[in-house]
Amino acid sequence: MKFKAKCKSFFVKLKNKFVNFIKQLPFKFKSKFAGAKEIITQGNGKVMSSFAVMGLGQLLYKQWAKGALFLLLQAGFILYFVLSGAADLFGLFTLGQVQGDAWYGIEGDNSVVMMLMGILAVIMIIFYAVIYTANIKDVYRTQCCADTLKPAAGFKKEVSSLLDKNFHKTALTLPVIGVCVFSILPIVFMILIAFTNYGGANIPPALVDWVGFENFGRIFSLGEFAPTFFKIFGWNLLWALLSTAINYFGGLGLALLLNKKCVKGKAIWRAFPILAYAIPGFITLLGFKFMFSYGGPINYYIQAAGGEAVGFLSVNSKWMARFIGLGVNAWISIPSTMLLATGILSNINTDLYEAARVDGASSWKQFIKITLPYVLFATTPVLITQFINNFNHFGIFYFLRDASIRSEGYFLANNTDLLINWLYRMSIDNNYYSIGAAISLVIFIITSLISLTVYVLSPSYKQEETFR
Amino acid sequence: MKKILPALIAHIAVILAIVISFGVISVTADRSASGNEKFTGVLERNVTLHVLENNTAKEQGYLKELLDSFNERYKEYGIKAVDANIDQYNDLEQSGPFGYGPDVLYQANDAVMKYVDGHHILPLPLEKIACKDLVSENAWSAYEKNIDQQSYTFGVPVNIQQPLLFYRKDLLPADWETEWDDNKNGIPDMIENWSALYRFSKQIRQESGGKKYGYMQSLCDSYFSSGYLFSFGGYVFGGEDGTDTRDIGFDKGESYKGAKIVRQLASVMNMECTEFTVSDNRYSRLAEGTYFATMTTPDVYTMFIREMVNKGYTEEYAKENVVMVDVPQVPVSGDLEDESLGFKDMTVMGGVNGYAISSYTSYPNAALEFVNYATSYKMVKKRYELLGISPARKDVVDEIGGLHKEINDNLDGNSIYVMPSVRATAQIWPPMENFFSLIAGDMLENKNVYSTDEALKNGLKKVSKDAYDAIHTLSGS
Amino acid sequence: MNKAKAKVAKAKTKKVLNVAITYCILIVVAFIFFFPCLWLILASFSKSGSIYSFDGFFPSEYGFDAFKSLFTDTVMYNYPKWFLNTLFIAVMSCLFGTLLTILTAYCMSRFRFKSRKAMMKATLLLGMFPSFMGTIAVYLIMTQFNLINQQWGLILIYSAQAPMGYMVQKGFFDTIPYSIDEAARIDGASNFTVFVKFILPLSKPMLVYTALTSFTWPWSDFILPKMLLIDKDLYTVAVGLMSLGETEFARFAAGSIFIAIPIIVLYFCLVKYMINGMAAGAVKE
Repeated sequence: MKFKAKCKSFFVKLKNKFVNFIKQLPFKFKSKFAGAKEIITQGNGKVMSSFAVMGLGQLLYKQWAKGALFLLLQAGFILYFVLSGAADLFGLFTLGQVQGDAWYGIEGDNSVVMMLMGILAVIMIIFYAVIYTANIKDVYRTQCCADTLKPAAGFKKEVSSLLDKNFHKTALTLPVIGVCVFSILPIVFMILIAFTNYGGANIPPALVDWVGFENFGRIFSLGEFAPTFFKIFGWNLLWALLSTAINYFGGLGLALLLNKKCVKGKAIWRAFPILAYAIPGFITLLGFKFMFSYGGPINYYIQAAGGEAVGFLSVNSKWMARFIGLGVNAWISIPSTMLLATGILSNINTDLYEAARVDGASSWKQFIKITLPYVLFATTPVLITQFINNFNHFGIFYFLRDASIRSEGYFLANNTDLLINWLYRMSIDNNYYSIGAAISLVIFIITSLISLTVYVLSPSYKQEETFR
Repeated sequence: MKKILPALIAHIAVILAIVISFGVISVTADRSASGNEKFTGVLERNVTLHVLENNTAKEQGYLKELLDSFNERYKEYGIKAVDANIDQYNDLEQSGPFGYGPDVLYQANDAVMKYVDGHHILPLPLEKIACKDLVSENAWSAYEKNIDQQSYTFGVPVNIQQPLLFYRKDLLPADWETEWDDNKNGIPDMIENWSALYRFSKQIRQESGGKKYGYMQSLCDSYFSSGYLFSFGGYVFGGEDGTDTRDIGFDKGESYKGAKIVRQLASVMNMECTEFTVSDNRYSRLAEGTYFATMTTPDVYTMFIREMVNKGYTEEYAKENVVMVDVPQVPVSGDLEDESLGFKDMTVMGGVNGYAISSYTSYPNAALEFVNYATSYKMVKKRYELLGISPARKDVVDEIGGLHKEINDNLDGNSIYVMPSVRATAQIWPPMENFFSLIAGDMLENKNVYSTDEALKNGLKKVSKDAYDAIHTLSGS
Repeated sequence: MNKAKAKVAKAKTKKVLNVAITYCILIVVAFIFFFPCLWLILASFSKSGSIYSFDGFFPSEYGFDAFKSLFTDTVMYNYPKWFLNTLFIAVMSCLFGTLLTILTAYCMSRFRFKSRKAMMKATLLLGMFPSFMGTIAVYLIMTQFNLINQQWGLILIYSAQAPMGYMVQKGFFDTIPYSIDEAARIDGASNFTVFVKFILPLSKPMLVYTALTSFTWPWSDFILPKMLLIDKDLYTVAVGLMSLGETEFARFAAGSIFIAIPIIVLYFCLVKYMINGMAAGAVKE
């Protein structure tokens, strides 16, 4: 009952949130444009000149350095558009017209690179718009100061504010640029690829074209696709839940064990899991693969004891291979959870336990009533990230199982594949980049909707502000 | 207000105008380039060629000799060849267009021909290739492709790769001349036909109580196991030149008989044959005498010798007793226990390794000169001496004779099925490997799912279908 | 009297039993974690390179051959060079990555600006996209910037992607009382000074934690260097080890041990900071 009620309240909350969001939209827009309207109606001639050419207004206000900087930026952007930006932007739509031919030294268009540079051009335009607005806001601010006869902030002072009030702007510039280029650009690129025919024999120097939703249509019309998708998705979900739980409680248990008063030499005991932590994952995985193979040491001992060799990870194993995957993942991940839990446990207020002991609570009760709620509460964000990481855990089965294994009833996949492994087989092994991108987009939408909702509703997100 | 809105609009209009005009210029720009003949015959001077060779050539010191003697010879032209020092399987398609690939590459024919569709390697002027008439037609054809009714050649064959039987001569039974030589030709039966090898393996396993094996092989390795299918009419791709990827023929002809042989062979092995374990452990197992024989390509011969020496044998003894021979014959009946119909030659999957020239090289003529030099009589012979490969050059082969002559004859006599020179070849292996390890496991675990011809036929049909799916179903073409 | 004694004795046996069980579990756990590592170490001391000349887990003969060839036989596999490459890339990425991550986390924790919430949600979303799908794009970007086959290219990517994982660090900064900032600001310190003079010294555990994680990632990563480094002399250890032949297992094991050692040493020296850092980053009360 309690669960049901909780679910219900969850959905009600979700609904309210959504309704509120929609209701507030017009106001949000209005408040956004109020400022713009004010500038347009109240701005003077110098503001106007900044509208026309970035930095001109500032120069007219005799703010030489700032004005020059904006002017320089204006020139830089125009130069960029002339030299490559405009061509890149058009390239995003055409995706190339001349097919390259290395035999005759014809350079040709590389559609994929053109798409990438096109996205970059769009990012640059957005960047330009941001700077343009900043330029106008700045000159308007100066105008307001001049109108009220307040002295405008000097260039020096503004620069020094970059280390103070606007320190975040300085500090975040590099990270934001880096993330834009190396995280966002690739993702936008992959999303766009889902709408092209890139892949198969159609790779540069051949020209790639936009095909709209054709790839999605093909996925959903393919008879073998849906059954495989749901089988893999089910296992993927189970895997993410199980492995997160195992790693979490394994690490917590280990930390509790090491926290016991009677354990002497904690540092040494803790060293063993850390050893496992220090060896790079791919080495561990290759080692375990060999260990469980037919020719590996485990089968050596089984056979020496007179038993039959067991195909732990072979073609015919299903749950055996899955359990080994869970175990190996636990071996790799438990040490870090242990470290985390150890740290958290050391922060628990010991008075609580003292009080509990006076009340005569058993140690089990103490764990359930004090330790677990505390630790669970403290690690919700970590749990969410761990769940996502496990959901997309590519390496485990990629290294553990032979690449050629195909299972009955699966399309280009086997029964231990996670969605990400399946994607890899399609997009990299079989070259179906566009189809792979389309599927990953579908998966991405599903997973991100789920986790974003959980995140927004989670106490740690809501309580962020109340914290201070 | 009146002034500001126009200013904003003017600004946007100017930016738009700039973007559109330069965008349109870029789209309409005329970029028809000239199609110059690359092989002008005029050697580029003072250039450095980056040569990609395989690991064995580097390890055994052949590459160094090749580069040194070439550089000595072409010193006066200022042409220098250096090791490209990149991975031997480097994908030219990825590295070439951006200028990171080698000038000259040495790879297997399927790898090289994969680059043709994207024009990543240059068609070679046959008339300028010195060894043109000294290499057999079939070796050339591995590097040929018809484009618009015209035949082009993309590589110069150097070495013929085919699986061979490796066995330990000193592990033959002492009485083989009386007991294991039915046709009295002085060659042990077990290296002449699969039936005898099968019988012998069974005997070894029984006598040793399952501790030792006769013939061992990773049966799942389709490079070796697909040969049984080809021997009975199976093929990879159909069509005139064997490149029609819509016609996949693993189940064609009587290929199920080949699958039956694979399944029977599993019964004299253990479960390791369903994985790639045997491919890795056969060097040490053969050296310690646990295996009597295995099948692999001649380029790994030195690894067997090294392991024998590790196990305490002298190198001479090792070379004397690890013997490579042509693969045994298969029973016509398709049943290893039924020799009544006699035997026939086995068709094996093979390949031709050779040199190709990257389309992105700036010095095609110097590169061609290098290829001519590396495929000269002197260098091919040296390659044979240092690496033990089977040369594709007739004059060298005639001089060496023996097994290498046989391999050349196999190629001429079509009992080597040359790996199809199309890009989709990479996608046929997984379903095949999966099938072979299924039937081998089926035999060893007595599941008997594949014990009938019908089941094998259906299994092969599924392999063909899976391969077809991998290549075509999602591509939409 | 007797009864009380029995009770004490019972409690004592219970305690002993408790301790015994605890230690039993500990020994089992230690064994589970230690054994595969021990196996790897033993394998590196095997005389024959092949893993198949082992008796079960144990090599049949021991020797130093693998280590010797690892450092002397450098024609094909230049391990010392790879090691130095990896060290360079990891140290540089660690420096820049830590700087950027700490800055991002600090800003996200201390400043309230317009796009903040949007940025936080966006990073969460971006983390969910299957990352290998983007590798094709990363390769193409690097070709356009002419950074293929260069160690700086790798360093750039590692450092640029590091700030995406700022959440733990932000959590840590959230726990540092705001009163510290306010007190300093009353004294006229700018935000920059507050950050450098007051916050950074307090966040030593978090700095160590961040530095370690941003060091270990490039140290053991395989996918990016495999894709971006073409020249064999530029390889990192992970790529180099994967290119070893199947029959060279002893060498593979020996090479693995050498990349594990620096990390182990670092962890042991800094485990205190690690624990504090991770815990503080996760706790939100």
